[in-house]
Amino acid sequence: MYKKYDRRNFVKLSTSGTFDDADSFRNIFPKEAFPQNQTGSKTLRLGFIGIGGRGSYHLNAALGIEGVEVPAICELKPVRLYQAKRWIEAAGLPTPRLYDRGPEDFKRLCESEDLDAIICCTPWEYHTPVCVAAMKNNKHAVTEVPICITIEEAWEIVEIYESTGKWATMGLEFFYNLPILNMIQKGLFGDIVHAETGYIHDLRMVKFTPEEEPWRLQHSLNRNGNLYPDHPMASMLPALDINHGDRFDYIQSMSSNSVMLNNYAALNYGKDSLYAKAKVSLGDYNASIVRTINGKMMTIIHDTSTPHPREDYRIQGTKGVYLSNGKRIYLEGISPKEHEWEPADKYLKEYAHPVTVNYNPPPRKGGAIQGHGGGGTQTPQHWDRLVRALRENKLPDWDVYDSVTSSAIIPLSCASVANRSQAVDFPDFTKGKWKTSPRINLV
Amino acid sequence: MNKIYYNRRKFVKLSTTAAVGGAAVLSGIGFPKEASAQIQTNNRTLRLGFVGIGGRGSYHLNAALGIEGIEVPAICEVIPKRLQQAKKWIEEAGLPTPRLYDRGVTDFNRLCETEKLDAVICSTSWEWHTPVCLAAMKNDKHCVSEVPIVLTLDEAWQIVETYERTGKWATIGLEGFGQLSLLNMIQKGMLGDIIHAETGYIHDLRFVKFSPDEEPWRLQHSIDRNGNLYPDHPMNKMLPALDINHGDKIEYLVSMSSFGGMLNDYAAIYYKNKNHPLTKTKIALGNYNASLIRTTNGKMMTLIHDTSTPHPRENYRIQGTKGLYVGDATSKKIYIEGLSPVEHEWEPADPYLKEYEHPIAKNYNPPPRRGGEIQGHGGGGTQTPQHWDRLVRALRENKLPDWDVYDSITSSAISPITEASVANKGKAVDFPDFTKGKWKTRPPITLT
Repeated sequence: MYKKYDRRNFVKLSTSGTFDDADSFRNIFPKEAFPQNQTGSKTLRLGFIGIGGRGSYHLNAALGIEGVEVPAICELKPVRLYQAKRWIEAAGLPTPRLYDRGPEDFKRLCESEDLDAIICCTPWEYHTPVCVAAMKNNKHAVTEVPICITIEEAWEIVEIYESTGKWATMGLEFFYNLPILNMIQKGLFGDIVHAETGYIHDLRMVKFTPEEEPWRLQHSLNRNGNLYPDHPMASMLPALDINHGDRFDYIQSMSSNSVMLNNYAALNYGKDSLYAKAKVSLGDYNASIVRTINGKMMTIIHDTSTPHPREDYRIQGTKGVYLSNGKRIYLEGISPKEHEWEPADKYLKEYAHPVTVNYNPPPRKGGAIQGHGGGGTQTPQHWDRLVRALRENKLPDWDVYDSVTSSAIIPLSCASVANRSQAVDFPDFTKGKWKTSPRINLV
Repeated sequence: MNKIYYNRRKFVKLSTTAAVGGAAVLSGIGFPKEASAQIQTNNRTLRLGFVGIGGRGSYHLNAALGIEGIEVPAICEVIPKRLQQAKKWIEEAGLPTPRLYDRGVTDFNRLCETEKLDAVICSTSWEWHTPVCLAAMKNDKHCVSEVPIVLTLDEAWQIVETYERTGKWATIGLEGFGQLSLLNMIQKGMLGDIIHAETGYIHDLRFVKFSPDEEPWRLQHSIDRNGNLYPDHPMNKMLPALDINHGDKIEYLVSMSSFGGMLNDYAAIYYKNKNHPLTKTKIALGNYNASLIRTTNGKMMTLIHDTSTPHPRENYRIQGTKGLYVGDATSKKIYIEGLSPVEHEWEPADPYLKEYEHPIAKNYNPPPRRGGEIQGHGGGGTQTPQHWDRLVRALRENKLPDWDVYDSITSSAISPITEASVANKGKAVDFPDFTKGKWKTRPPITLT
């Protein structure tokens, strides 16, 4: 049940053991400036750690890309491990080595294998340990969100990146609302004043699905704050130029009472069932307000327990505002009627982001992508971009600082909720580099 | 630009010390009780005094003059043109010529001391709302004020104490309550227990703030204050929906503002002069302000204030344990678990809003209004507005107004509390319990 506490003991032991190896990996930082002298289709060797719903999707997406090999996979559950092995063989690749000796066996994988990167889709609490093990063993790490769940983990990732040159990223998240980002970067909204969105997704059923994600409910029992900020941040971080000319100054967070998960358990498992009576920390509705050094504001919501359709995105600048609810826009001096919405569709089309318009990946091998997030028959763009970054020795779309900044909202919001919404200062993971780091420019 | 309301504060200090001694003669007056309402005759003549007759004051005066049995024996206004216009309207309605109070900004005191009135209608600039209310209550008159009713916590407590001592109430009752169909659905349990509500005052007022003829005082608040300066319109939906002061109460709030400066930019455009002094005046108010508010029972509100950026108006979102509603002027959607046809998908809210139209809206059938269309800011209709009909009935039947004293000051007190929070890096600021514990047993607001 309290698995992640076991994991923490492990982290403590393991970091003290391996840190001095880091020196040998210095001076090999990927540079955006020298990418094109690499061959565009060199074979990539990827290791997969955690092959559940999302891991299956990523593995399946990767197997459809020419020149990707998967020499090693790691998974606790035999049925998942052998399913993955079969897929790899069915793709015409060599049989992978299997790492199945318990939840820490990813370490052996990272130490033994020669890989370009590992893809981590474990439960949340293993994301940082897997990233750290990979980076320390000369591999980049690409993880599902969140990349970290404590501030200590965030700093650990930053420090190992800076000493090894190997990055960790949640780059398969990509960025959202790209036409809006394009319009923002072209100045149509003026200076951004405020952005609001959230992760508003009724996950009551998912939290009570032990076969799929036995660990997810435990986070709701133990923690109160914003437990899943990275999807909304995929829209807001680039839009607000966080770590790229601006940075988060402080955050305040507030949660409502918690009744929904108890009610759900009572309804489905009986009034006397374990979780009908368990103390649930997570408030049903959580809102955080975040202020940047330059005075912009962000409102980020977390609500995974109430009945609702999905969240909206609203972004207000000095020249106009966009609202995803009904896809509406108002641009002062451009929109036909003063202070009235107009449909955003024609803008979203006109300002479709070049990376979207020009996306034309090589044909995917195999059929529709399996797993959570799958269905398409084209290589997903985040996978295409990740593979290009690895082949060209470029940084991924989410660099280390942006990745840890996004996920750091979890512990910081929890700290604020626990202290009556007190303002909690946001660490500057970039150590001042945010001032000169150019705005995220997707090409 | 004059800091008008600072002058006013000096005045308040002087006047409260001078006038408190007189209050004792007013004690022992019976409190209005909802139970004892019907024994009064429903058509008794009401005597109303009007203090402040600008945009909103004109509207209220005009609305009142259309109601049978209302007399306006006294009016008070600093701008002669407005005063004479009001006098003319009253005479044209066939009423006796009113006495005029025009000896400066504090002449409402003389009006309250001299006249025999049922109530005073206050539509002055914000900083005079509390002084007018106090002068009325201390002189045996109810007071109906435009929003906000208070600007400071000290003012809020003065109003409570004066009410509890005199039995005369002060209210923002002409505000009415918003989103009544939804309130009806909530009170029937359609959304389950309310978890969170969000709305705000999102209204681009850059133009209004630079209209010195209309409201010369409004800009100064943005120059001097940073927080949520206008909470009462959004609160007219959220306060009854969340049972604030009626089974629950506001526990604390935190507030955050963005950078400011939109008003400086606008000044350059408005005055066609990049070097106009107002392009350089330091503006305290952030362009965007958000407050998170938690109730004692663990409900939440997100309350926005944005009067400076270009935008259409705000929306209203309310989430309960069984479903939620999101609506604005052009889009109204709802999702109710087990009732909406597709799981986790919106359906149009209109059929619900029609089916659950609040009985007081459905059954509203006021006596015909005398005179034509209502003039002034908010006017246009040819029917007596329901908030006026309800106010007149409350006065005639000796009932409390829809917004009682506690609810009125709770709503407006959000302003100074957000200012205190913004000034202290978003520190949580406790919300006073103006009801002194009565919130626990006060029943939900039911409109009949």
